[in-house]
Amino acid sequence: MARFTRTTKKLAQRIDLQYFKRSSPFRRWRFLLSVGLTALAVVWLAWQTLARNNRAYSSGQMATAHSLLATQCAACHVSRTGVFREHATNQACLECHDGPLHHANQVFAPDCASCHVEHRGPVRLAATSDTNCTQCHGSLQAKGGSFSFAVDRNIEGFHSRHPEFAALRSGKGDSGTIRLNHSVHLRKLRVSPNGPEEIQLDCDDCHRTPGDKRPWRFGETPSDRDEAQLRTAAMEKPDPLRPNPTRAYMAPINYSKHCAACHLLQFDTKKRFTEGVPHGKQPREIHEFLMNKYQGHIANHPADLRTIPMPDQNLTGKPASPLAQNLSPPQWVDEQVAEAEKILWRKTCNQCHTLSFPKGASLPEVAPPNIPVKWMLHAAFDHNAHRMMTCTSCHAGATTSQLTSDVLLPGIQNCRQCHRPVLDAAESRCFECHTYHDWSKEKPVKGRFTSQELLHGIATFPQPRDAEPGQR
Amino acid sequence: MLIDETHKKWRDFSLVFLLVATAFYCWYPMRPPQGRNGGSAVGIAFGIIGSAFMVFAGLLGARKKFPVWRLGPAQTWMRGHLWLGLLSLPLILFHGAFRFGGTLTTVLMVLLVIVIVSGVFGAVLQHYMPRMMTREVPLETIFEQIDSVRAQLLEEADKSVAAVCGPLGVMAVGSRKLPAGGYSERGGATPAAAAAATPALALTEEDSAPLRSFYLRQMRPHLEKPGAGDHPLADPGKASGIFEELRKRVPPMVQETVEDLEDICEEERQLRRQARLHHWLHGWLLLHIPVSLALLVLGAVHAYKALRF
Repeated sequence: MARFTRTTKKLAQRIDLQYFKRSSPFRRWRFLLSVGLTALAVVWLAWQTLARNNRAYSSGQMATAHSLLATQCAACHVSRTGVFREHATNQACLECHDGPLHHANQVFAPDCASCHVEHRGPVRLAATSDTNCTQCHGSLQAKGGSFSFAVDRNIEGFHSRHPEFAALRSGKGDSGTIRLNHSVHLRKLRVSPNGPEEIQLDCDDCHRTPGDKRPWRFGETPSDRDEAQLRTAAMEKPDPLRPNPTRAYMAPINYSKHCAACHLLQFDTKKRFTEGVPHGKQPREIHEFLMNKYQGHIANHPADLRTIPMPDQNLTGKPASPLAQNLSPPQWVDEQVAEAEKILWRKTCNQCHTLSFPKGASLPEVAPPNIPVKWMLHAAFDHNAHRMMTCTSCHAGATTSQLTSDVLLPGIQNCRQCHRPVLDAAESRCFECHTYHDWSKEKPVKGRFTSQELLHGIATFPQPRDAEPGQR
Repeated sequence: MLIDETHKKWRDFSLVFLLVATAFYCWYPMRPPQGRNGGSAVGIAFGIIGSAFMVFAGLLGARKKFPVWRLGPAQTWMRGHLWLGLLSLPLILFHGAFRFGGTLTTVLMVLLVIVIVSGVFGAVLQHYMPRMMTREVPLETIFEQIDSVRAQLLEEADKSVAAVCGPLGVMAVGSRKLPAGGYSERGGATPAAAAAATPALALTEEDSAPLRSFYLRQMRPHLEKPGAGDHPLADPGKASGIFEELRKRVPPMVQETVEDLEDICEEERQLRRQARLHHWLHGWLLLHIPVSLALLVLGAVHAYKALRF
């Protein structure tokens, strides 16, 4: 018999020309899966809608501070009749955070959400992007404002084109009037408050934050009242980014704690008194103190009126008077006070304080100390955050500084070593040092939500109140 | 689809577009304070363009449903589907600034990645496998007709064997149900047996016994149930040995019939291979198309919600 040859014609004749009209399993599965998966997606969305859960549509996790509102979209996304968009409004933010104006001279008022961007995960909303700041402060624009110093007009951030700190930029030096030689104090000293022994002072023997409760090595532990006095107005200023202001800045130098142990204010050459003159008083008060001291002494020791010059105290080389002097008590007091004041005004007080002697005045004038508490007036700094470092790693000039006018504030390059805009580096964005809302002017906010509303849904959003345009 | 020089324009356009988009993505956070953000003007632009590319890629299915519409050559649509669909992934990543966001957007990104990965996988298969199919399956037929062709092969084999061995006593071809007791070697044992043919060659029962026995015991079950992959006839080497042995046991006058049967087995193997290659060649579409549809639906919901909130 003839073989079944497989010609093209025979092969073609095998094909049922109507085959495409019938469904194949492959097409059927494709259709079923397409419809099924799409239906599944629609059912999921419908379920979310029925459950009134809009969380699925969130563009990202809420910031930690707002995590309670993650399912309460209406708390921020306010619905208005006739308006399609329901973006978070300033009004919604102001319901809880009625903060003050950002800047009186700001050239425009950005929306809250333009700087504090939500749905970016558990981040700190206060940590705004540098571009939020540099859009105005990059060239230091201000509404009709001008600036007293010339800086780069295109500041990109701390890392780039930020001007040097003002205290270093001005070249004026330290405005303090207390004479202090850091170099001398940081060398080994041969005399300690306990007598002749060699000691080495550390920076924290004099410089500590008010919150530091450790006992002083060469001074008295301050009382709470002293602590309160040490806090200056600048340090008391609320700072939203500084949770513990009492550890942020160094307390001003205080004579009784930092100096008195070594620098006694003795005034009597014959050492008839154990205490020195009181510190912190004006020359007139010192004068009265001395008068009272010597008047009291001569009343109890009238024999001292007969003064005999001591040969060993005569350093003039002239022959001493062989006769003893008999003085009246007022004369004796005046003589002793004059002698004491000579020591104080020329040596003891003058060693640290700047004294001036106006013409015709019998007493000097003491210049105010003017010790700066905050060197960076427009920025915040926290010594406590840097406590793991040695003082001289930043204040390197302290060991060699001999003049009061030396500014020992480290320069911006020193900070940039650690504060860099890269991973594994310290924060370097603007907000790290610069606050942008003056929270001391914060307005009181009246709470509007109940805990049940926050936990289970906010049915209606509070009516808009008279929010001032450009509040931020 | 063969990805050859005809794709050059699309490829070049896609590369240039990707470079421009990447440059823009790197540049634009310098401007808005929020940085890279899907809600910024540039972020929304990336989202719109990426979505438009996805929609265009999705329209290929609609284009195939209406082949007579004058909407440009199907090849052009396919190239656009490939390259613009591929471009949509980086554009959507730029749109979301490489953040997955919330639940819906995360689902969308996962679906998009599945679609793109399965699409690239499919494109690679479509590039290489048709040539492999042509080489390995010279008797390729239409996939949907494989079962029909198999039935015809069975009928062909039945006729060939019946022509030399007489009626086989098996069910008529086309009625695919097998008798409960299997096939009778001598015919007539099964009531429903209908396959019968007048023998063209008058072989004695003794001469035809080896062929009849081989056919009914080995080959016909293999043709009836080709899914059994471990059958000796499914292996070309073993099948060649079996047929060589059969030739020695049958008279010379039925050698042609044996060769026919060997050809039928070979064609059956090719059909098996074609079915396997076809599953690879088109199986990925069972993932690609359903996920694409879900992606487009959920993407539309995302666009609405994102623009509103």
